[in-house]
Amino acid sequence: MSAVWGIALAAVRRRRLQSAILAVVVLCSTVAIVVALGLLEASSGPFDRTFAAQRGPHVVATFDRAAVSDALLAETARRPGVEAAAGPYGQSVVTVADTRQSLPPGPLTVVGRPGPGGPVDRVELWAGRWAERPGEIVVNRPVDPVFGDLVGAAVQTVEGLRFTVVGLASSVTRTAEAWVAPAQMEAMKPASAQMLYRFVAAETAAEVRAATAAVTAGLPPSGVLGTQSYLTVKRDVSRAAEAYLPFLAGFGLLGLLVAVLIVANVISGAVVAGQRQIGVLKSLGFTPDQVMAGFLMMVLLPAFAGCLAGTVLGALVSQKLLDLVFAGIGAAIGLGIGWPVYVAALLGVPAVVVLAALVPASRAHRLPAAETIRAGSAPRPGRGQAVQRLLSGSRLPRPVSLGLGLPFARPGRSAMTLAAIVLGVAAVTLATGLFQTMTAYGDTAQRVGRVHSIVHVGRPGQVRPTLDDAAIEALLRSRPGVRHVTANAWIDVRLPGLTSRSMAQFLRGDAASRGDVVVAGRYVAGPGEVAAPSAFMRRFGLRVGDRLTLALGGARTQATIVGEVMDAADDLIIASWSTLTALDPAGRATQYEVGLAPGTDVERFNAAVKAAEPGLYPRAKSQADQHSVAVIGAAALFTVLLGTVATLGVFNTVVLTTRERRRDLAMLKSIGMTPRQVTLMTVTSMALLGVVGGLAGLPIGVASHRVVVLAMLDAAGLGAPAMLLDVWRVAALAALLVAGVAIAVLGAFLPARRAARLTIAGALRTE
Amino acid sequence: MTAGREVVVELDQVRKHYGETVALDGVSLEIRAGEAVAVMGPSGCGKSTLLNLIAGLDRPSSGRVVVHGEDLGAMNETGLALFRRRRVGMIFQFFNLIDDLSALDNVALAAQLTGTTAAQARRRALDLLDELGIAGRARMYPAVLSGGERQRVAVARALMNRPAVLLADEPTGALDSHSGEQVMDLLLDLHQIGQTLLLVTHDERLAERCASRVVELADGRVTAERTLESSR
Repeated sequence: MSAVWGIALAAVRRRRLQSAILAVVVLCSTVAIVVALGLLEASSGPFDRTFAAQRGPHVVATFDRAAVSDALLAETARRPGVEAAAGPYGQSVVTVADTRQSLPPGPLTVVGRPGPGGPVDRVELWAGRWAERPGEIVVNRPVDPVFGDLVGAAVQTVEGLRFTVVGLASSVTRTAEAWVAPAQMEAMKPASAQMLYRFVAAETAAEVRAATAAVTAGLPPSGVLGTQSYLTVKRDVSRAAEAYLPFLAGFGLLGLLVAVLIVANVISGAVVAGQRQIGVLKSLGFTPDQVMAGFLMMVLLPAFAGCLAGTVLGALVSQKLLDLVFAGIGAAIGLGIGWPVYVAALLGVPAVVVLAALVPASRAHRLPAAETIRAGSAPRPGRGQAVQRLLSGSRLPRPVSLGLGLPFARPGRSAMTLAAIVLGVAAVTLATGLFQTMTAYGDTAQRVGRVHSIVHVGRPGQVRPTLDDAAIEALLRSRPGVRHVTANAWIDVRLPGLTSRSMAQFLRGDAASRGDVVVAGRYVAGPGEVAAPSAFMRRFGLRVGDRLTLALGGARTQATIVGEVMDAADDLIIASWSTLTALDPAGRATQYEVGLAPGTDVERFNAAVKAAEPGLYPRAKSQADQHSVAVIGAAALFTVLLGTVATLGVFNTVVLTTRERRRDLAMLKSIGMTPRQVTLMTVTSMALLGVVGGLAGLPIGVASHRVVVLAMLDAAGLGAPAMLLDVWRVAALAALLVAGVAIAVLGAFLPARRAARLTIAGALRTE
Repeated sequence: MTAGREVVVELDQVRKHYGETVALDGVSLEIRAGEAVAVMGPSGCGKSTLLNLIAGLDRPSSGRVVVHGEDLGAMNETGLALFRRRRVGMIFQFFNLIDDLSALDNVALAAQLTGTTAAQARRRALDLLDELGIAGRARMYPAVLSGGERQRVAVARALMNRPAVLLADEPTGALDSHSGEQVMDLLLDLHQIGQTLLLVTHDERLAERCASRVVELADGRVTAERTLESSR
């Protein structure tokens, strides 16, 4: 074993506490970095990954079979610029009858395909099997167990067709809403055909347009019914994930910054504290390079151990978060973190450690041996003396005034510690604010405290209710503890001039008590009025006061947008029951939202409803929003990691400071300072930094919260309701300020106690 | 002479060992008020251990240490701290001043720990520094003081709370001969005005000038004791 290796190992063994702190700091920092980078990487491309895995089509083209033959369409697959193609597949639009069965009523685009695979659009068949015989249908649904009971359900169309759902598949580019076997499609005599193209170059909209023009060139213009670029779908699909991107980016950057600062702080401290030994080694004949190598090894050994463990832990945590955040988008194809993230962590973190160690180590490298020994044995004079002079004349208890002066004796290290506390407090503040915002959003989305039970009306295949719509509502209202009941009918309608299909939620009863947050205008109150989510308004460039035409079957009615509500959906409108009556006088509620008085047992209410009308299917309303849970979970994780790292950074600073001041502390004890006073003095020194750090970190955290939340709301198309921004309360802010002091005091307490227990005689002999 | 005066320090069959190593082995000793006792002996004989036990910086493995009527073995850590604050003053070979505090504040610190106001503590500290001849250096920091000046500041700090006994561990060991002489004169003056002193030293000259009694230690035991007349 070389002498350099020997001194490195000996140093790690001798400084067990410091090595352990270093390892844990690097571990936490690495976890934060892996999670942050992993989530950033994944959130930047869930669609791209799924699209690539499914070999999604760059363009889905629909042709008129009367104008373009299948043979001619097949020939387009061989045109220049086409990398791969699938089709022609027969395509037909049927209208699902309003039978309250498996699928919502309305138009359904069905494509005839022999299977889920092929050169293009390898759809994920995640439940059941593919349609092989006539009467079988596979429905396009995102991967989510909630849709599982669709398999086996019956589908009836207005045209008189009957299907059984035999499978569920997910196509990220939504090439169809349902698929049937080719033979079935031929029997349906499809008027149009679908071609799926992958192009050699399709990065930009211009390239996609050019490639599309190339494949349709020479075909009768009337033959091309429509084309859909994957870029349009990408914008739509990624919107949900993009809502969380600013949050992840904010936390990721904060995590990286805090981690790098703390690692630099810990390493600098370790090397500075080891300067005396550097001098001794030089006096023994070690070359400056050998000494530096030894010290770099000393910090790299625990740092690399922490980095390895942190990478593994980070990988596990990130995958769990990914599954939560991107559930339904890419889980089925194993959306995971790419190897570059791990490589970046395994190489980048030790590189940061080495860089952080190089600065103080190179200083020791340059210093003459004698000076290094002196530098290690006593603090340089002249630092913080004016402050100490001022404090010594104050009326404060002497241990407190001494403690307040300590940070000024080591301004460099105090600045690093302060920076760590500022970032720690800012991180905790941001996380707390996001927690409040996400909770407020989740509570609104889930109508927490407003809707406690959702009572579904039995569908065909289930027990059908014997009571009519009005009687069901009366039954629900008659139950003890019921405060409000809102009847809902979810129906697909057309909005001529805007979209061929939009979900409309028609409400009757106590709709205003559901707790929808109105961003602009007012809530739906009467006939001919609708409210729409901000995302819907933005999608179609609408404003409050604009008029819409709603069409259902052959009926049409006009409605005015009276309000904009906070909701991420861009394909939903909320309308009054009278509007439904105008479209379909026989329209019935499909479910009822019931709000209960405090203290009412939801399960008992549900059981009573079921007993009174077996054709009703009540269930307790979920009180948590999945995405909110994921984001809150991520915020909590980052907060814990950054808080731990910040606390350890402070802990390390205090340990080093205490070690350097052993002689002073022993002297103070020798003239009568009690252990409690020593603890008080040491804790006070860090509490001062905590207060300053808290005062600085708090506004940074509050400002970061505003920026991140506004970006999130913008990405999600939610508008900017004040309830999501103004989440701060005086008590909460005061508590956050205390967090800064808490981080410092927590980090200082144990080493302070250790300092208080110093053996005076031994410490005073150390000179 | 001091024969009839009260006993300030009493050690009864004191043993102190660190693991296998025996530092003190059944030492009994009495120091009366106004006495100046020098403890001498070769390196490793237990001199500093003896001093530390009397100062309440360490605890005996067995036996009793009583200072000013207080049994140190019966005290907890806080009790020992309060004892050190009120009953003893310590002077070290390497001064042990706080580098961030001026000479004045280093001295005042000892009084401030007892609850004396900053203004009062500074006034008394300045008086003491004046008595020791370094009032002009009161605003200076330890780094710019000479060794002798630093030791004078340390002596002033030790005297700040009017200790029952002043304990000095090799007080001239880190000083040049001129500074050493100054400190010796200072200790002699203190002894002559009745301050009880316990010196631990290798320096025969210091012992002869400042002490009224010399206790010889070897291998943790008292091997000889002699009274010196010259100093009084």
